[in-house]
Amino acid sequence: MTPALAVADAVTPMGSRALGRGVTEVLARAVAHVGGLVDAVNTGTVPSWLTVATGGALVGASFLFTSLLTDHEGIRAVNGLRAVVPTTDGLRRAVVAGTRALGVLGLVLVLVGAAFGSPEPRRNVAILVVWVGWWAGFTMSTYLVGNAWPLVNPWRTLAERLPGGGDVDLPSEWGAWPAVVGLLALVAVEVVSPLASVPRALGVVVVAYSAVTLLAAWAVGPDAWFERADPVASVFGVYGRAAPVQRDADGLGLRLPGSALADVNATDDRPGAVAFVVALLWSTTFDGLVTTPAWNDALTVVVEAVPVVPTDVTAVVGYVLALVVGFALFRALYRLAAVRCRSRVDTYLAPAAIERWFAPALVPIAAGYHVAHFSGYFLSLSPALRAAVLAPLSDPGVPQLAVLPPWFGTLQLAFVVLGHLLAVWVAHALALEVFPGLLRPIRSQYPFVVVMVAYTMTSAWVVGQPFDAPGYL
Amino acid sequence: MSDDAPGSIQAPGSDLATCGDDDAAATCRYCGRPFATPDAHDLHVGDVHADACTTAEREAYERALEAEEDELFYFHLRVVAALAGLYTVVVLAYMIALGSGIL
Repeated sequence: MTPALAVADAVTPMGSRALGRGVTEVLARAVAHVGGLVDAVNTGTVPSWLTVATGGALVGASFLFTSLLTDHEGIRAVNGLRAVVPTTDGLRRAVVAGTRALGVLGLVLVLVGAAFGSPEPRRNVAILVVWVGWWAGFTMSTYLVGNAWPLVNPWRTLAERLPGGGDVDLPSEWGAWPAVVGLLALVAVEVVSPLASVPRALGVVVVAYSAVTLLAAWAVGPDAWFERADPVASVFGVYGRAAPVQRDADGLGLRLPGSALADVNATDDRPGAVAFVVALLWSTTFDGLVTTPAWNDALTVVVEAVPVVPTDVTAVVGYVLALVVGFALFRALYRLAAVRCRSRVDTYLAPAAIERWFAPALVPIAAGYHVAHFSGYFLSLSPALRAAVLAPLSDPGVPQLAVLPPWFGTLQLAFVVLGHLLAVWVAHALALEVFPGLLRPIRSQYPFVVVMVAYTMTSAWVVGQPFDAPGYL
Repeated sequence: MSDDAPGSIQAPGSDLATCGDDDAAATCRYCGRPFATPDAHDLHVGDVHADACTTAEREAYERALEAEEDELFYFHLRVVAALAGLYTVVVLAYMIALGSGIL
């Protein structure tokens, strides 16, 4: 694989692999020396195992540095810094109405584009708006700026205007589990279907999601559905807690990035809330994992070992099974860390309570991987997105792609590390709040740091692997 | 979260579930949280319920804090040594990998 091909593939993660395959040949011709994750990991003579080990060492070192910070009051004060963003009622109403209209308009554009737009993915407005504009661009804005999804969400805007409904009770003991199941189902559909390369397929999934969502939101009421069960709204809700702009009782506030995660009264105590954050983290990893040569080799072995069943059926079962088993493994590892933490500091807090307490610290890690994967993808395809949005149904010709500077790949690796550093800081602040004294909070983090180092190294290995399109699909 | 005893701040994590606390050495009389050692209890009361606690509890807190400070100093010595060790290993690994071509 040439470096340029590797680059093109490296900037096409979750939900965009097929689109990336389409873009690859254009990029290979037009862009000879773009930096990407794969480039950054394989550059020069630094062997890849050393890059992987350095990622682990950085996380370990940042934990050691944080353990030197024992001024509990000072840490609390830094995380509590807050500036009020001045707003007026009129401005607020205008922004709310405008954003809602924009959201619905976006949904209409996607549906029209999927039905009547160009069949070519990188010229199709639906594909570009969904993957580049929304899943890459908008998602980045939810953790880098603030979560605007409750306003943008076109399904919420529509569901609130449906007459009647709200008769069915969504049992509160289900907690966040409907969102967990929904998220894993969406990831499975995204991985095994050509959602990023066939506009019609994307259209069908958007229509199906719309139908299910509107029906469910009408039945249980929009507030209950979008705050507790909708997987998309839950993803943005979780990401939004890491954002600097936070909405609270006093209106809009500006906080230090990630500091709202250390708020002691904001832990999510619903059943399944921890599982949801773990599922979000796992789905990011899973998406990278299925594009590694190692995964494809293993899948080939499995598919060839089952001769009677058609290969694509075996493969789909393999993907779904790997998704579920991997999620269970991640969940079990996090529980194991919580159990070890419990015996470490000799506390009587239940393992489930410890898990819940430290779950917010996982959010910056997921956000770090998301921005590392998607910033390059978003920037390089944004001219194509702009062209498609300005002229949705006319063929814009050969799509324009932005050329990223060579150092961009290094920047992407830095995002991964930054996410972990923020996670260590948040976990440290949370530990000081819940365990007495200073040494117990620090010791409580040992098992979590071990898991985090292992996870960083696994992820660094995954992003450093050459891109290999997921097989048998 | 439920309200605490009057005059004390809401204890962070006071609503967290506990288990296996039959052999608890002490239980916080403000928020009911069990602790395995008396010093963990003293540190908790003095920190979280600083506004409500009695003079005796305050003194116990300061004693526990002082005892922990000594321990913390030696802990930090080990942390600094670990950081220096880690730094040395990483720098050496890069020097060997980039300079010699052995790795």
